[in-house]
Amino acid sequence: MAPQKSFVGTVVKYLFLGGLTAAVLLLLTRFVFHFPPVFQGMFVLYVGLGTVVFILLNAPTVSPFGGVKALVALVVFYALLAGTFVAGANFLPQFDPMVEKGKIDKIVKPKLAATDKGKMDELLKRSEDLNAQSQAILKRIEVLGGADKLKGAEGDKGGSGAPKAAAGDLVALGIEQYDLQECYNCHKVGGKGSVKKRGPILDNIGGLMKPEDIRAKLMNPRSWMAEGFDKEYEKKVMPDKYKELMTDQEMDALVAYLSSLKDASVQTPQPIKK
Amino acid sequence: MKTWKSSLALVAGILLVGTAAYAQLPDPKPHDFPIAGNRVAVWVVAQLHILFAAFILGAPIFVVVSEFLGWKNKDERYDRLAKEVIKVTVILYSMTALTGGLFIFMLLATYPQLSGWLITHFFDLFAIWYPLLFIAETIILYLYWYTWDDLKGPLKLRHIALGVLLNVIGTVTLFVIDAPTSFMNTPVKSAEGLDLRTFIETTATLWDKINNFSWWPLNIHRLIGNVTFGGFIAGLIAAYMYMMAKSDEDRAFYDWFGFVGNMVGVGALLLLPFAGYLLAYELCDYDASICPYMMADQLSMFFEMQGAMVGLIFLASNYYIWLSLKRVDGLEQVRMRTTTLVLMASIPLVFMLIWTKYPIPDPNAFILPACWITLFLVAGKFLKWTVPAQTLVKVAFLMVIIGNAIWMTPHAFVATQALAPDDGSLSLPHGELNLGFIVLDWGMLALMPAKNAAAFTLVFVTICNYILYNRALRRGRIQWGKIDFVSQFVLVFLAFSAIWTMGLMGTVRSLTRKYFHVFNLQYDFTAEAFTPTLAFSSWVITGVTLTFYLVVSFAIVLTLRSGKDKKGHPETPATVPSVAGAE
Repeated sequence: MAPQKSFVGTVVKYLFLGGLTAAVLLLLTRFVFHFPPVFQGMFVLYVGLGTVVFILLNAPTVSPFGGVKALVALVVFYALLAGTFVAGANFLPQFDPMVEKGKIDKIVKPKLAATDKGKMDELLKRSEDLNAQSQAILKRIEVLGGADKLKGAEGDKGGSGAPKAAAGDLVALGIEQYDLQECYNCHKVGGKGSVKKRGPILDNIGGLMKPEDIRAKLMNPRSWMAEGFDKEYEKKVMPDKYKELMTDQEMDALVAYLSSLKDASVQTPQPIKK
Repeated sequence: MKTWKSSLALVAGILLVGTAAYAQLPDPKPHDFPIAGNRVAVWVVAQLHILFAAFILGAPIFVVVSEFLGWKNKDERYDRLAKEVIKVTVILYSMTALTGGLFIFMLLATYPQLSGWLITHFFDLFAIWYPLLFIAETIILYLYWYTWDDLKGPLKLRHIALGVLLNVIGTVTLFVIDAPTSFMNTPVKSAEGLDLRTFIETTATLWDKINNFSWWPLNIHRLIGNVTFGGFIAGLIAAYMYMMAKSDEDRAFYDWFGFVGNMVGVGALLLLPFAGYLLAYELCDYDASICPYMMADQLSMFFEMQGAMVGLIFLASNYYIWLSLKRVDGLEQVRMRTTTLVLMASIPLVFMLIWTKYPIPDPNAFILPACWITLFLVAGKFLKWTVPAQTLVKVAFLMVIIGNAIWMTPHAFVATQALAPDDGSLSLPHGELNLGFIVLDWGMLALMPAKNAAAFTLVFVTICNYILYNRALRRGRIQWGKIDFVSQFVLVFLAFSAIWTMGLMGTVRSLTRKYFHVFNLQYDFTAEAFTPTLAFSSWVITGVTLTFYLVVSFAIVLTLRSGKDKKGHPETPATVPSVAGAE
């Protein structure tokens, strides 16, 4: 009984020490270092882990046991391990696949459409649609006669405003491409994006580079570098895959968007021609 | 045994003829795997196969080294240990072949276009080299096992040579199958400026495709991983047998067996973080967009989980040393220099500052840490202050926890860090402190230099503990078989956690291909081309690990229990508990 009593004393001692350390750490991280609650929680959890470890270090020796007792202990231990690992993984923040699914569809579907199988599927779908439309038009002609001509003329009037709207659309498509290619992982625009300063801020890139230079940089990332990002080991940082993975239209859109970024109030690293 | 051979022959036949024939089929249609879906089905079978393969490749390394040590030191225990591990390996070899065959079938049925494409590009490898190596390994493994009792005494060296040959073939097999795996992550780029698709489809040779960016890093990582795996599974075998032991002799043997398994497992584990860094470095060097995807974006929380697992594994391996030390008589006389303790405590902060100021591969990033360690080693020669062994071990535990806390500190507790909320509610706070030679800020804790310093701390502390343990063994007296029973659960924990972590990191490596089957080359057009959540992945990984454990546990109990007489005595001569200092 004596060792058990002393172990209880040890547990109480380490629980007290752990509690004290957690309280001090909590006060420091909250009021002195101004850490968000989630980080305060993380450090307190680590103190908890430390407390458990130090209690285990002082735990009394366990004598061997076997047979059914050992088997049950093993099964319970495995269940505990499996449960703890799954619970730990579930406790951490989860990436929402739905966010990515929409993005992936936008990237992958046009590529599928470009394959032989995709083209065949598309042709089949279009022929079915056309067939349905032609049937519908035939019915309308029978019923309305010249009304369709009028609609066609109204459509022509709107034609003069189209190029302007297309330019706006191109920038919008460019924003979409910026998001799809996940440029935000390395660059910042409007204060959003890369927390690790992997690549330069791009807020005024349109004011510093011509569209054709931006295109050249995207096609061949080593053709231009940015001030402060031009060390030898940084030359290969920007991937050189975009010329192969993006279509001309997608590239045009991205160039149009980047060229539209002209906020001179945000310090944007100076481009350097290589 | 004949059944196993037949199944192996069948699988080899499938590999040889089936894959080649299937590649010739015109546009095969994919089948839909019920309930789980195609991706999860392939994931489960592939991971199960890799776990069995890791064991049958890792265990023979452990076995042949053990056999050699037994022969060299004329110590029967090593020979018995080696024989018991290889016995389990032979049983599990058939499981490797069966899951391998199932994996091929599953791939061909669910992803026929991709499988056909890969077979076309690696035809010689799949149709000739892999089956030949597999057959050669099968023959040598059975030869190695069946000649164990015949090639004894003066013929022992021939048997060891057979074991070495088995390992050479096994390692080459691993390298061969790593080629398409690594190619899918980093398909070789053209040096002449050809675009990737044109180069792969027209100019690239088989060797170009094999010798891709991540092939060697993956080979190294898996080889070290397999040794770790072999060591920890040996520890698991020892733990089971210790629990089932009926005599003090057996308990003494399996206590020692577990100690050896754990030492090999931990020894290889110390190299694993660096091999992992090398692989990650090559992946990032191939395409820098992989890096944020892994570390800061969709997979960032997978790395949080990895950090937690690595921390727990290092805590457990050091706890095993602690439990071993508890039964060493005269431990109180063992002391370590205070400078070692101070050095240990200083590493996370000092190395983090050095590597932040001089990022690797800057030469100062190597010179300054070396100088720092040398300074303490030299100071230790002059300053004779010492601390008790227990104090050092307790500080070591504290440093493992601090090191792991640094490892686990992210920029923000969000799944996609670049899109963290602006209000800073989930991010590390800003605020800088200028020390003149360097500017400190909390954000440093989330960067690679801090993670490297944390990993170095874990490794350094474990090495110090082993040095201390060896010193205790030399000076003190240890009775094998008298270890705290909890230690057996620590061995079980180490094997389970190591396997779970392998599953987790294998998932990460596979997912870095994003929505490609072959990165930047073959799109995954299925509806399953997205990053699964960590929660979902953890269920799959746990399921695979438990299934593997169930089979391995069954194999261990069946093989080793059946190898004893009714009184529980082993076939091989029992070993006598010995005093460690006398070894």
